[in-house]
Amino acid sequence: MLCLYMPETGMLPPSPHSNYYNAFNSFVMKRYFPALCFIALSAIVTSCSKDNIEPAPVAIPHQKIADGFAIGAGVKVELYARKALSTGYNTVYFALYDSISKAPIEKAQLSMLPMMDMGTMKHSAPAEQPGTAAKDRLFTGALVFTMPSGEMGSWTVEVNITNGTKQGKLILPVTIANAPAARLKSFVSKVDNAKFIVAYIEPSAPKVGVNDMEIAIFRSKSMMEFPADSSLSVALTPEMPTMGHGSPNNVDPVHITKGHYKGKVNFTMTGLWYLNLDFKAGAAISNDNTFFEVNF
Amino acid sequence: MKVIPISILCLLSVSTVYAQRLVKEDTVRTVLLQEVKVTGKQKNQQQNLFQYFSANKAATTEDVLARLPELSMVRRGSYGMEPVIRSFNSGQVNLLLDGMRIHGACTDKMDPASIYVEPANLQSIEVRTNGGSFLNGSSVGGSINMKLAEATCHDERVFSGTANSGYHSAARSYYQSLNLNYATYKWGITATGTYRKSNNYRDGSGKRVDFSQYEKVNYSIHGKYMLNENTYLKLDLLADDGWNIGYAALPMDVGYANARIGALTFVKENLGNGWQKLEAKLYANQVKHYMDDTHRPNVPIHMDMPGKSATSGMYAEGTTSIGRNQQLTLRADASVTALKASMTMYQEGTSPMYMLTWPDNRQVQSGVAAQYLLQLDSITQLQVSARADYSDFSLTTQEGKDHLAVFGYNGQAVNHFIPSVSVQLSRNLHRNLKATVSLGMNGRTPTASELFGFYLFNQFDGYDYIGNPGLKQETAQQAELTLQWRKSKWKVQATGYASRVSNYIIGKYDPKYSVMTAGARGVKVYENLGHALLTGAEGSVIFNPVPQTQIVSVLKYAYTRDNAGNALPMIAPLRNITSVKQNIHRLWLQGELETAAAQNRVSKAANEKQTGEFYLCHFRMGYNGQAKGFRWQLNGGVENIFDAYYREHLDWGNIARQGRNFYLQLGIGF
Repeated sequence: MLCLYMPETGMLPPSPHSNYYNAFNSFVMKRYFPALCFIALSAIVTSCSKDNIEPAPVAIPHQKIADGFAIGAGVKVELYARKALSTGYNTVYFALYDSISKAPIEKAQLSMLPMMDMGTMKHSAPAEQPGTAAKDRLFTGALVFTMPSGEMGSWTVEVNITNGTKQGKLILPVTIANAPAARLKSFVSKVDNAKFIVAYIEPSAPKVGVNDMEIAIFRSKSMMEFPADSSLSVALTPEMPTMGHGSPNNVDPVHITKGHYKGKVNFTMTGLWYLNLDFKAGAAISNDNTFFEVNF
Repeated sequence: MKVIPISILCLLSVSTVYAQRLVKEDTVRTVLLQEVKVTGKQKNQQQNLFQYFSANKAATTEDVLARLPELSMVRRGSYGMEPVIRSFNSGQVNLLLDGMRIHGACTDKMDPASIYVEPANLQSIEVRTNGGSFLNGSSVGGSINMKLAEATCHDERVFSGTANSGYHSAARSYYQSLNLNYATYKWGITATGTYRKSNNYRDGSGKRVDFSQYEKVNYSIHGKYMLNENTYLKLDLLADDGWNIGYAALPMDVGYANARIGALTFVKENLGNGWQKLEAKLYANQVKHYMDDTHRPNVPIHMDMPGKSATSGMYAEGTTSIGRNQQLTLRADASVTALKASMTMYQEGTSPMYMLTWPDNRQVQSGVAAQYLLQLDSITQLQVSARADYSDFSLTTQEGKDHLAVFGYNGQAVNHFIPSVSVQLSRNLHRNLKATVSLGMNGRTPTASELFGFYLFNQFDGYDYIGNPGLKQETAQQAELTLQWRKSKWKVQATGYASRVSNYIIGKYDPKYSVMTAGARGVKVYENLGHALLTGAEGSVIFNPVPQTQIVSVLKYAYTRDNAGNALPMIAPLRNITSVKQNIHRLWLQGELETAAAQNRVSKAANEKQTGEFYLCHFRMGYNGQAKGFRWQLNGGVENIFDAYYREHLDWGNIARQGRNFYLQLGIGF
């Protein structure tokens, strides 16, 4: 309105104290005063409530797997995962609460040890330890189960917690289902006879198009030691076994951090795909007959 | 068993082609080439040829088109031949239905728009070569506009109709068509219906060609309503349903191919103040196409391939006299075409294998055009045409975008601005000799398949094709010279033409990609070739030694090369059709000799096969009768009398054409 008016009168733009400015200001105030009052009021109300009322606990968007108390640490431990645990790579989340006040704990020293008890023998599995700080109240780590629970044996996850000065331990029994398609492969390197475990992480929701590809590689040093490995180079060749064709423009996974290799896999149609992976140590072929199935 | 109800049907019924050709002998049922209308009523050579060849009422539209000097037909089955102009391919030629854009729904080009119309729906076919006008749309190869039949209004109430029925022995095929018209002074309505059924045909070696059958029905209603003396509304509704259509040259058949077409047109004539005609049209059409291999033996993996296209658009066109001996035609048009096609393969034990072969995509096109005509003096005429087109292509779903992301395409805008201009000068150099020279520059956008095609298998060269959204538009420079000589008994016309097409779009083998289709030779990606030269000549002679005798001969030849000197694929060889017709009162007899030279200059890159020469002889006859209150007409003949075993160069696959064929056709009109 001002713009239209100015050329007519030939006046300079109005100063903030001019009549135009005041007129405009009073117009705004008259028109929007009730709304402004409401906003101010509600701001006061909400700030008050923050001080006085205990917030409703934030729902954890994952499936609860197990819980229990780490007695010495005075901590209630809840174990979550995106879905029921199965063989292969499982991202897991721990929520910790003070066992008396129920207040969430955001800082703690947390370590976990998966154990398979097969009666005559016990062995562990690769694990990625959660950090010391929670994000959105969750401590995030990963467990790579190498076999399903069953007659052969049963799995537990031993959790050690240092909460300030208090320390405690908890053993959570877990049931590991067999993943519908193998999500874990192992091979013995042709180069040095080292044993490697390869876990499939992405694509978890495959689609036709470009997909993020992620695997994690662990070296199987002993029954109890599975350090992440970054020494290999990986070549990815997708293939449709029923059609005998591949797909173009894939990106070989390269090591990013902690044994995780990331690349891109392209699917040109739905159906059953093999993701063939060739592993090299330097120029020497370590293994060339590993593949994961993706059926979508 | 089906014969009985059908013969009853033909007795009761009557056909359209017949009605139009019989009743409206003067209408524009013509092929107009290099449209020059100012010179008055004199028919041009193409109109004469069209009239001559379409006198055989048993001929289909395709039969007639294939005989015209400028046109060739690409054939993948006995149904759905694709008309192309000279050596240009279907992407380079605009195929329009009464000015409407209509896009086939098959990724393998099994359904050019021409299959969704019957001769019963059509009034005329306008073929414009590239040297002439391109009012209707940008192209480098010219345009074919199939004009829809129009209902008529009449001072007194008139009810009329025609019925046609025909039988061909080689394919044991028959058709019935019925056309009914009702007219009052205020409104008119025409309804047509056609049914065709064809079995597998017999080739020249006596063998039945499997998967050459088809069946279809077509219905249409054309209405006209006079708003006042000079103004009227037209409504056209068409439905065409084909099913069980065999494509012998392809690994799959067609389960169904359905089109629904609707248009509303407003026409105002003699507006005064110089405007002769204004026409505005709103239209929409939808095509659904479903490829099917369930009837094929030894299919390694069963697949479904449905496709869908939907187009809507409008145009407005007006013609005005802007001064003495000057005429200006203006046109504006816009359309939106949406395409989607997918493929699903089934293998036990795995999820169905599904992909989009045409990822959901849309073309929005708009253009303006003008054509200026100036009669310089009594013997010289100048025509200048100009058009500007803007097209925007996009992928419309995330799923579609995900597909093409595999090739690194991340949704960058694909749009093309295409200017075209042509100048045509005609002059009577001598009392009997007229020369027409035209020069032009034009272009075309890449097609949806060329931009976004996702592993489209091409049976012709055996490669999977991948689109390339980064394609540049094709542009062309054209020159054309036509000489026309007319003297009492002789009408002779010869045309020479050359087009230099830059950024010629063609598939190029890329060893980086692995084939998707089992058995394919490799994967080709559409690319712009530096340039290609398409040149050739065509000529025709019409000679009437005595009024009852007519001799017609048509000759065509084309030569092409790409920038490396290689031949382009799908180029017809030297071809001649010579025909003699004798009228004896109401009876006419016609002998025809069709000759094609061998085509040995083939494209190695397209893995094209050479084709041998062949000669065909046909004999036709017809009788036009009149009985109280109705007219009738009987046509019959033998095609390929000597049962030659042959294929044409533009036929896909190594599939022989029809052997000896007896046909009979009966038409009744009232």
